[in-house]
Amino acid sequence: MAMRSQVYEWDGQRSSTSTLASTDAGKSISIFIGGKGNNITKPAETNRTQFIVIEEIASTPSYFGETANNTASIGTSLRGLNGLTSQTYRGPLSYTQIVINTTEYFLDPDNIANSGVPGAASPYPRSVNFQPSFNLHPTVYVLPGQTFDVRYTFYNTRHGTGGANTYALGQDMCFVKYTLYDGPDSLIANRLLEMGITVNPGNVDWYKRSLLSAASAPAPTA
Amino acid sequence: MAMRSQVYEWTNGSATGTSSIRQTVDPIAQTVSGNKKTDIFIGGIGSNITKPAETNATQFVVIEDVATSAHAASAVQVRINTTDYFQNPDITDQDGVPGLASPYPRGTSSNGAISDGAGSINVIAGDNVLPSFSLTPEIYVLPGQTYSVLYTSAQEAGVVGGQTKSCTSVACFVKYTLYDGPDSLIRNRLLEMGITVNPSNVDWYKRSLLEQQSMPSNGGVA
Repeated sequence: MAMRSQVYEWDGQRSSTSTLASTDAGKSISIFIGGKGNNITKPAETNRTQFIVIEEIASTPSYFGETANNTASIGTSLRGLNGLTSQTYRGPLSYTQIVINTTEYFLDPDNIANSGVPGAASPYPRSVNFQPSFNLHPTVYVLPGQTFDVRYTFYNTRHGTGGANTYALGQDMCFVKYTLYDGPDSLIANRLLEMGITVNPGNVDWYKRSLLSAASAPAPTA
Repeated sequence: MAMRSQVYEWTNGSATGTSSIRQTVDPIAQTVSGNKKTDIFIGGIGSNITKPAETNATQFVVIEDVATSAHAASAVQVRINTTDYFQNPDITDQDGVPGLASPYPRGTSSNGAISDGAGSINVIAGDNVLPSFSLTPEIYVLPGQTYSVLYTSAQEAGVVGGQTKSCTSVACFVKYTLYDGPDSLIRNRLLEMGITVNPSNVDWYKRSLLEQQSMPSNGGVA
């Protein structure tokens, strides 16, 4: 199993100890070790024989365009997303950023890091109402020995049920799809990178076939 | 990270004043005048950045997607230096790609949604708007150029802001790839050769260079 498709799903409320709260609005929270929702035991990193290709990131979507009421009363959900009737949007206004070592991947045109990909552009889960405008191409490479992180930020404090500022399961979610290359396949991934070839399972297999073909070819005569 | 997929999202929301640098917590919809182009980067309405979007001498940007809200008669235009990209057949100005053709978020409704007076019922248009438009060929921003993305609401009243009964939010989305450093030089070379600039072709050019380097020289012995 040297080349494995992997996923990680995070929910800000999936924890018995510490869950996402309205005071976390505007903060960039690690979905791996941020201390909110379901976490893992240590920062995400690759060892010397691993190579990771992040292929997709997504988060809870938002809805823009509700014509608001001037009374901040409790509103029912709109396409499964919540907010106050005084608000012109529903849902968490969420964003997902990738950080490699200490460098944020997504920048604004003024070359300053932003909060990342909007959930409205890359929604999780996808539905008829919320479809992706964004695909992560080119993909993001995590080279051997690097640390990586995925960070979730939300800006609407009133996205709980009925416009509440407390949240339930499924109201702040994040999803990451990546491929883990390990052992010999990690070496091949590095070789492809040096050659300027996109690292994906198809190209790794192609390189292996090329090696086997070269090895089985008759030796050149003098 | 010489070739990076990037996104920019603009909304007419700002928590304080008519604009803010980047997204803010609990933004309030701001008024956008009708039939007036608003720069989504530095237009002074909603979420903005610190300076005009531009490429430096070692950067090359390829804009791959522009989208905007499907309601409020929204449209989005791309401007390179002082030239608008989308034109009418008679070479006159137009507002650009309509939100109904390139909706953001995808799957949103064309009429927005309305809270009733009691704030308990939301009337939701039953449609899910999907894209009729894809930005092919893409738009190139060469090193040293300035670019802007302009939002227009063709509604006479524009987009009403504040927290009044008729206020609403609108959004714009831009997906682009930023080529930096050596990859930017390769982009320029591809452009000179008349080859489409995309990650695959950049990788192909890199491979060609490597193959040329590894070939034996053709020079004969004198």
